[in-house]
Amino acid sequence: MARTKFKPSKLTLFIGLFLTGCIFLLLPQNVTSKVNFAFIDIFDYFLNMGSSAQRPAQNASGTYVSRQEYLRLQTAYANLEAQYAEQKKQIEKLSKIRLTEPDPSTGLVIAKVVNRKEHQLIISRGSKDGLHSGQYVLGDNSVIGLIEQVSDEISSVRLITSSACKLPIKISAPEINAYFNGTIQGDDNNGARIMNIPKKYSIKTGNAVYASEKAGFLASMRIIGQISKCALGKKNAIVWDLEVKPVYDFESITDVAVVVLKMPEFK
Amino acid sequence: MKWFRFSIVILAATVIGASAVTDVISITEQRIKPNLLLMLVVYFAINCTSYDAIICSFAIGLAADLTGSLIGPYFISYGIIGTALTHVRQFVLLKKTGQQAFAIFITGLLIHLVTVIVLQFKTSGSGAPTFGIAAAASMYSAILWFLLKIPVETLGKWLGVGVYRFGTRLSESRP
Repeated sequence: MARTKFKPSKLTLFIGLFLTGCIFLLLPQNVTSKVNFAFIDIFDYFLNMGSSAQRPAQNASGTYVSRQEYLRLQTAYANLEAQYAEQKKQIEKLSKIRLTEPDPSTGLVIAKVVNRKEHQLIISRGSKDGLHSGQYVLGDNSVIGLIEQVSDEISSVRLITSSACKLPIKISAPEINAYFNGTIQGDDNNGARIMNIPKKYSIKTGNAVYASEKAGFLASMRIIGQISKCALGKKNAIVWDLEVKPVYDFESITDVAVVVLKMPEFK
Repeated sequence: MKWFRFSIVILAATVIGASAVTDVISITEQRIKPNLLLMLVVYFAINCTSYDAIICSFAIGLAADLTGSLIGPYFISYGIIGTALTHVRQFVLLKKTGQQAFAIFITGLLIHLVTVIVLQFKTSGSGAPTFGIAAAASMYSAILWFLLKIPVETLGKWLGVGVYRFGTRLSESRP
């Protein structure tokens, strides 16, 4: 007896595959992302071939440091300055109370960049290391994005330049020794925007932008970047239209640190 | 069509496309890179039987999804546009390299458009590149097609993509 080979018509095939796509799309992202993570895990070596992660670091010799090193030190300095200002303020207010600010370095999980895409990084740490979505990610000592998805062993980071990444910030105004609150959102390009900051705030190009403290996520302010463009809003002239240039260099980031803070236990 | 070889080629193209190797030929600050999968979907849509082309389009879409953060958007968009291109082929032969390059450019734009629409049902944030970047990548792929056409055709022969006459395959034209 001859075996009949099942071969659907072209229309049936198309509809079948289309519906399969719809099912894939409707599946929860944490399920389908396992496939993405598995792919990256398997082809990790090939995906990183030729990247800066595989290139040996070149140390500058002599009195001068490389531009990359200079920027790193500048960023570290900006962070220290912000921490210093914050701590000084706290000491002034609570001169007799011991500072409870935890040491930021105690809650950091260092991870390697496994793969990089537009406005996204895949890093080599996952939920096993205490990572979960929403945590802040530092690179070059500045905030570069937030944890987006997490699997057991790897995670994806949504960079600050992505419009899907939104977080509270503070803009420093050193002239009047103040910080202005706002929300930053990526522009899907190489920068980010801060919207709806009232014109009455004295903000200038070059002012530093910090990620605000957030309970359980970020203990103290951390630098994100600098105001690169400061203009009156096109739609509304009473607000600033601010553009931010992140301090990190996307290409040079090979390692990141995820801020994993331990929540205090209440008894 | 030799499907095992096809899967190896698609996997290789996906890994090469997502790897840092293609950064070498990326242009501008936006790091615009050619889309190898886009070129392949157009090649298979033009040269395969329409039945095989549907499968190829969806398979390439799945490969494109593997390097993203979601499974589904490119699967659907590559599938729809690839299938549509097999129908266009019945009216326009698309045998000249220039025509094929133009098809790559238009297909890239349409795939991006469908992906953005599909993503609206899934996420509020952006998962797809901006229109400008997608257009530039499609244009780059279309220009690069003039260089890659011959190697891809050689690869196609290895995969068993047959020879067609006047837009229809011999196997299809027979009653």
